[in-house]
Amino acid sequence: MAVAVLPDTVKPAPAVIRSPRRTSPTATVLLLLGAAYCLLPVLWVVIASTKSASELFNTFTFLPSTHLFDNIAYLTEYRGGLYWRWMVNSALFAGGGAAASTLVSAMAGFALAKYDFRGKSVVFNMVLGGVLMPAVILAVPQYLLLAKVGMTNTYWAVLLPSFISPYGIYLCRIFAAATVPDEVLEAARMDGATDWRAFARVALPMMRSGLVTVFLFQFVAIWNNYMLPFIMLGDDKLFPVTVGLSGLLNQGATQPAMYTSVVTGAFLSIIPLVVLFLTLQRYWRVDLGAGAVKA
Amino acid sequence: MRKTFAGLLATALLMTTAACSGDDNDTSPAADPNEKVALTYWSWAPNMDKVVEGWNATHPNIQVTVNKQDGGDPAVAKLLTAIKAGSGAPDVMQAEYQKIPTLVAADAVADIAKEAGDLKAKFPESAWNAVTLGGEALYGVPQDSGPMMFFYRSDIFDKAGVQVPKTWDEYAAAARTIHQKNPKQYLGTFSSNDPGWFAGLSQQAGASWWGVQGESWTVAVNDATTKKVAGYWGGLVQEGVIDNKPMYTPEWNAALNDGTQVGWLGAVWGPGVLEGNAASTKGKWKAALLPNWDAPANGNWGGSATSVTSQTKHKAQAAEFVKWLNTDPAALKALAGTANVYPAANDATSVALTAPPAFFSNQPDFYTIAAEAGKITKPFTYGPNVNVAYSSYNDAFGKAAEGRKAADFGAALDTIQQATVSDLKNAGFTVAG
Amino acid sequence: MRTGRAPYAFLAPALVLFAAFLAAPIVYAGYLSLRRVKVSGLGLGAGARTEVWAGLGNYARSLTDPEFVPSVVRVGAYGLIVVPVMLGLALVMALLLDAGRTRVGTFARTSIFLPYAVPAVIASLLWGFLYLPRVSPIVDVLGAVGITAPDALSSSWVLYAVANIAIWGGTGFNMIVLYTALRAIPTDLFEAARIDGASDIQIALRIKVPIIGPSLVMTFLFSLVATLQVFAEPMTLRPLSNTISTTWTPLMKVYRDAFVRNDIYSAAATSVVIAAATFLISYGFLKLVGSRAFSQER
Repeated sequence: MAVAVLPDTVKPAPAVIRSPRRTSPTATVLLLLGAAYCLLPVLWVVIASTKSASELFNTFTFLPSTHLFDNIAYLTEYRGGLYWRWMVNSALFAGGGAAASTLVSAMAGFALAKYDFRGKSVVFNMVLGGVLMPAVILAVPQYLLLAKVGMTNTYWAVLLPSFISPYGIYLCRIFAAATVPDEVLEAARMDGATDWRAFARVALPMMRSGLVTVFLFQFVAIWNNYMLPFIMLGDDKLFPVTVGLSGLLNQGATQPAMYTSVVTGAFLSIIPLVVLFLTLQRYWRVDLGAGAVKA
Repeated sequence: MRKTFAGLLATALLMTTAACSGDDNDTSPAADPNEKVALTYWSWAPNMDKVVEGWNATHPNIQVTVNKQDGGDPAVAKLLTAIKAGSGAPDVMQAEYQKIPTLVAADAVADIAKEAGDLKAKFPESAWNAVTLGGEALYGVPQDSGPMMFFYRSDIFDKAGVQVPKTWDEYAAAARTIHQKNPKQYLGTFSSNDPGWFAGLSQQAGASWWGVQGESWTVAVNDATTKKVAGYWGGLVQEGVIDNKPMYTPEWNAALNDGTQVGWLGAVWGPGVLEGNAASTKGKWKAALLPNWDAPANGNWGGSATSVTSQTKHKAQAAEFVKWLNTDPAALKALAGTANVYPAANDATSVALTAPPAFFSNQPDFYTIAAEAGKITKPFTYGPNVNVAYSSYNDAFGKAAEGRKAADFGAALDTIQQATVSDLKNAGFTVAG
Repeated sequence: MRTGRAPYAFLAPALVLFAAFLAAPIVYAGYLSLRRVKVSGLGLGAGARTEVWAGLGNYARSLTDPEFVPSVVRVGAYGLIVVPVMLGLALVMALLLDAGRTRVGTFARTSIFLPYAVPAVIASLLWGFLYLPRVSPIVDVLGAVGITAPDALSSSWVLYAVANIAIWGGTGFNMIVLYTALRAIPTDLFEAARIDGASDIQIALRIKVPIIGPSLVMTFLFSLVATLQVFAEPMTLRPLSNTISTTWTPLMKVYRDAFVRNDIYSAAATSVVIAAATFLISYGFLKLVGSRAFSQER
């Protein structure tokens, strides 16, 4: 079977499919149950962020209150707007890290899919090994090594390690294999294009939709990362929002946890990702199996 | 293929060895009074940046930046990692008293006895001992202390006809009465998540978990005194008149709010915690001394010093700042009023603590009681691996509290003792006994 | 397939970054796992600590720690809950979406995917509020209809409570992966069956599921790896209960040793053990299913 992945791409997946069918109440009910299970905790944050500190513990959970803007104002006042700086940092880490790692992954995935060279299988197996490596294990030695070159407690300490994404390389290899026909590259070469030109002008545009997926995937991974920035950063002006919020929660025994601010902050921090999801939803098509399907 | 992999491995190894031979530049500069220096200060006290503004305004050549940290444990973890790595530590660091031996053992904090001058008379003896470890060196200047206090809901006590307990027997009786009158209510909870709290209670009973004998450490987590304390709490938990859930959870907050936790064995910094967690109960709480075993005595929970790290390049300036922060009347006032801490300095009572904390405005003698609580605090020595004992406390007492069996509480102490001693031995410390 | 030097140039940035931020730290962790600190005297004073070779002592202590085996067993049990339930739900939802017999498809797909956007630390905090009896609306609602809900964080339920957070967070992503694979199936492969009178369920089980087999294998593998690495959820819930110890999972033990006990050497040894086990299990699994997912050929 020829691979039928992501033919071209920018077409949104139609909501109603193939041939028009009768609707099934069972299917609808099951899907709505699934949606409710997934939305309920999110709804909780939204409602909880409208409550004042004592309402959070006193009133029925799903009873909304009117303090959302007070809470946001309070959070904004906290240490001169530090929360918003954390949001900007998160965006910077996730945006910069994801962009760079997508490019690095695209190049590597392209090479792995479209070239024969010595050591190819070693490289590929290494990439797979990297996919399996837990971030918690890596964080401490990464810190100790970066400290030797004096790079801890800088933006680079969080950005550089996120430039490499074995999973991204793996996905890009699949996308390159599935979407860039050899003949097109061959034709480009006949026209006298260099390898780089063939990659940048021919292959990249063809892989576009896959690359957006890799970008989003890496963006979410970095945005949600806690361990690496927690270890690398001492200056709270450099924190991403995950580390900052956990600081508001763990203030030590002598201070009350700032639950209201944490909940409000958590709510606000989810919004950018939700927007990103909704606007780029059509790109979320990760076909892990494609690389395995053999002709 | 194999060759390629070997090559990569060799590259990685090379990088590692190159990285291992880092530079340890040990510059102890002669302080130039006109040199402009910038210091970083890790602290987790709220509004510490505002306290420091007072210093920055009057010391244009020594500008201090506060980096707020996640509380005592994460801050120390990060500091120790930075020390190990050889860079990345701040100049000045808030350090809880129980962490000082650990920090000294890791060579993370500097001796500032020479730079700070003689401050001994300015602090209570227990705090001074904690920052000198009983020797000539000075590993930090005491910032705040945490004599334990008993907070209770006076309205609920009145309604139940319960007197404020003066002894632990009376406390147990009060716990029973309150729980019998309203099975939803508890006088307190045994928290497996707060080793510092239990250490304070043991300290009050006369325990001291570590000690020094010549060139050896002693460990006495499971001595008879601590066993007595653990047995007491185990009995109350087994009986069901004291709750077995950890403190500082959303659930505990809810219980403080709705009046089902009617008492709290906290410390002098407690008003801030109560206000933050249960603002709506303002005016209903009263503070008292801890109940006693026999003669009046007390323990500590919390409290910290400000230390200069061993990685600072400006030790003299850092020491000067640390000294100002914890002894200058204006700084003490800001510490108490803005950062919400109970300053350790003896002067604090006269310059900063003249009115009760806002949450206890109904109790004008709040700081008189606190001063009394501080005075009767018993000595307690911390060892170089408090963190090991404390994390072992979390696990051992988590199990015991969940099982609600009194016998398990004593056994938990044996587990902690064993973990603590074997860790010391494993690191090469000599342990007596 | 082309040859030449170009592929090395394309791979260069990835290889350099890989060496610096993955290979070197792992090698360094291996080195640290063979070292330990040696203290002299009371260990107080500068220079009282030196680093020395430890041989395999750290490994011996890590593997013989009485908490280690229970934590491994616990993660195994956790995996047995999470992986089948999460992938089962993901597959059912993906098939329902693909069958197209509903008008709520877009809404459901977006909603189920949404938890993927919530960091594990925050997700665990949210669920913590929903679990704790006194603040939980679930307990309130059940109580109102006369059911006494069990304490989700008590020792008999805590494993399910943690598993639920992982299932909640991971179902959506896997659903999208499987849905993508389902959408790639050419319609004519099952239109014939439909005309022959096969039901949707028969088509799903007999035609669609086998075709997306490779995707299922890969989601299974990645879920398995994520399971072995369970960390953030129990770590966040731990202070809320008595039932989650500091060594509840192997990675929590690594964290405790490195950050709470300041013993990065033991932490490194446990890390190496976990990494080796992860590889063995993953490759063992791939051998078992005989997947060519990782093969080089196209």
